Amino acid sequence: MLDFDGTTKRFGSLTALDRCTFAARPGRLTGFLGPNGAGKTTAMRAVFGLVELDAGAVRWQGRPVTAAERTRFGYMPEERGLYPRMRVRDQLVYLGQLCGHAAGDVGRSVDGWLERLGLAARAADRLDALSHGNQQRVQLIAALVGEPDLLVLDEPFAGLDPIAMDATSGLLTELAFGGATVLFSSHQLDLVEDLCEDVVIIDHGRIVLAGELAELRAKVPQRFVDIRYQGQAPDWSQLDPAELVEDRDGQARLRVGHNTDVVALLGTLRDRAEVVSFAYQPPTLSELFRQAVAA
Amino acid sequence: MNGVRQGWLVARREIRERSRSKVFRAGIVITLVLVVAAIVVAAKIHTGNVTRDVGFTGTTPAALPAAVIDQGKAADVSVRPRYYGSVAAGEEAVRDQKVAVLVVDAQRLTWRGQPDERLRAIVTAAIQLVTVQQRAAAAGIDPGQLHAVMAPVPVENQQLDVAAGRSSGNVAATVIMSALLFMAIILYGNLVLTGVAEEKSSRVVEVLLARMPARNLLAGKVAGIGLLGFAQFAVTALAALIAALAVHPAGIPAVSGGVLAWIIVWFVLGYAIYAMAYGAVGSLASRAEDAANVAAPVSYILGAAYFASYMVVASNPDSIGSKLISLFPATAPFAMSGRIAIGAAAWWEPVIAVALTVAAIAGLVVLAGRVYTGAILHTGPTLKLSDAWSATTRPGPRAAEPPAHRRSAGWRWLS
Repeated sequence: MLDFDGTTKRFGSLTALDRCTFAARPGRLTGFLGPNGAGKTTAMRAVFGLVELDAGAVRWQGRPVTAAERTRFGYMPEERGLYPRMRVRDQLVYLGQLCGHAAGDVGRSVDGWLERLGLAARAADRLDALSHGNQQRVQLIAALVGEPDLLVLDEPFAGLDPIAMDATSGLLTELAFGGATVLFSSHQLDLVEDLCEDVVIIDHGRIVLAGELAELRAKVPQRFVDIRYQGQAPDWSQLDPAELVEDRDGQARLRVGHNTDVVALLGTLRDRAEVVSFAYQPPTLSELFRQAVAA
Repeated sequence: MNGVRQGWLVARREIRERSRSKVFRAGIVITLVLVVAAIVVAAKIHTGNVTRDVGFTGTTPAALPAAVIDQGKAADVSVRPRYYGSVAAGEEAVRDQKVAVLVVDAQRLTWRGQPDERLRAIVTAAIQLVTVQQRAAAAGIDPGQLHAVMAPVPVENQQLDVAAGRSSGNVAATVIMSALLFMAIILYGNLVLTGVAEEKSSRVVEVLLARMPARNLLAGKVAGIGLLGFAQFAVTALAALIAALAVHPAGIPAVSGGVLAWIIVWFVLGYAIYAMAYGAVGSLASRAEDAANVAAPVSYILGAAYFASYMVVASNPDSIGSKLISLFPATAPFAMSGRIAIGAAAWWEPVIAVALTVAAIAGLVVLAGRVYTGAILHTGPTLKLSDAWSATTRPGPRAAEPPAHRRSAGWRWLS
């Protein structure tokens, strides 16, 4: 388990991390969300000792992270980069060896990942001879070499095409299933909602929401009703306690309290419009995010 | 995972990747060819055994040409006599450079321009000798007696400002070593500089620093490039030695083993201290092209240290200034090796200088590591040293407000 415990980092008058406390648990994907400049990259760098903390600590399995622990971590920085002129396999083996793994083990791990991501034939090529997409795959392997226990990925989905995005999601889910702790940042909230069991939302250096996504959604007092209807748009007034969020092209979204009588509401709606479908659900991650960040 | 192993992995990568480059391989071949060619050509142009043509005209004593040849032999100059019927014909030959000098009536030497001092001494001595012999014969003195009277007295040269035991071979070796060290620092120090700047601009550095401390990365880089450089120098030196032995065996300066060992020690230390400084300032540049500008202060210090050491030590190796400059880490590699070669350093002086220099290198590794970590995660314009030093208390643009274009770009490869 990776714990951020009161982690604080100031850059002059700017507080990049303000007593941040949250955890990423093993065997799960944790989505790390926040607007630009909220402190995500600083927090991730703190795991690798790339920023000196002013207060608090980052702990792995309950102990402060040291160089020895980091050899079992994989990291993908937000600003990607490898040696452009170095051969793919040499480069990956080198990075693996820097983590303290023996050359033979690293070699097997690298070959496995190259095979898995369809790059086996390019192993002896220089990195800059590879296409953009393949270079991204190599960067991902750089974080995976040596089968780390903790993966910290800063925007792993940025700039990926939909197919690469699916492949990467599948890979991360599989790694978490295998017992790894996976913390990644992203701006793609729908994707995070699909993938992650846990989310952490940071804003202006403060953690504004953290925990199991399903619980967080259930805890919110609002629920949403999505209906599709045919014909004329009904009169949405006097639908108390429901409140219209949006109504467009025969689809409407209503906000209701979490103890609303759903059956009664459906009855009321059917009196006014020809309802085709009806769904009652907690807020989406996007809604949670907007609420948390606006607060 | 210990630092030594990580440093060694970094060094090994530098050696492998750089020795793989075609530019590097071509550089070695070109250097070898140039050095060997320079030695061979220099030997051809400047052989110890020069041949000079000397013209004679007018009344020339029969013994004079032979005497000039004898005098020439003693001075390692082989003289070829030529005879001219008239002064005009002889002068014509001088003008056409067929002869170096024309001896007229055994009394006057005609040169094309400035007299060749060596040849003038040879010819003048021969004329004196022959004339004295003629006069002695005219006065009825026995030639055997004359020989005894004229027998040369061996004259010894003593130089007051060179102490006993100071060998010119050692001094020559040190002067050569200082020049080579200066060259090596410029060449390989700059490889460290651009290597660091490239790692920063290609952003691979964040991947590396997540795996090891900056000091391991920097020390490994300096060691790897250094080993490669020393190997290149050793190969070149060996080729130069073989070429020199082949063309002119006596021309190799005799160096004592002790001095040679010190030369190697100072070469290594001199490279290490400056390469480390180049590595630290290299991290301040945001692009490889800016690296030279950022490194200018280190280059100025290097130049000043080299020339100051040379001038201070050469003028008086025993002065206070020489002693201080040979202990100061930035100048010690040049100055102390010079004083050791001249024989001016007491045994404990180089020991202290080495200790100080090693301590300075260790301090520089720590300092450079901090500047490096502070600077390397900073992107945008070139960083000031003070900002990099205090990077823990100042926002880099990344940490504060990441520019939107960089965020969306996501992947940046700079080569």
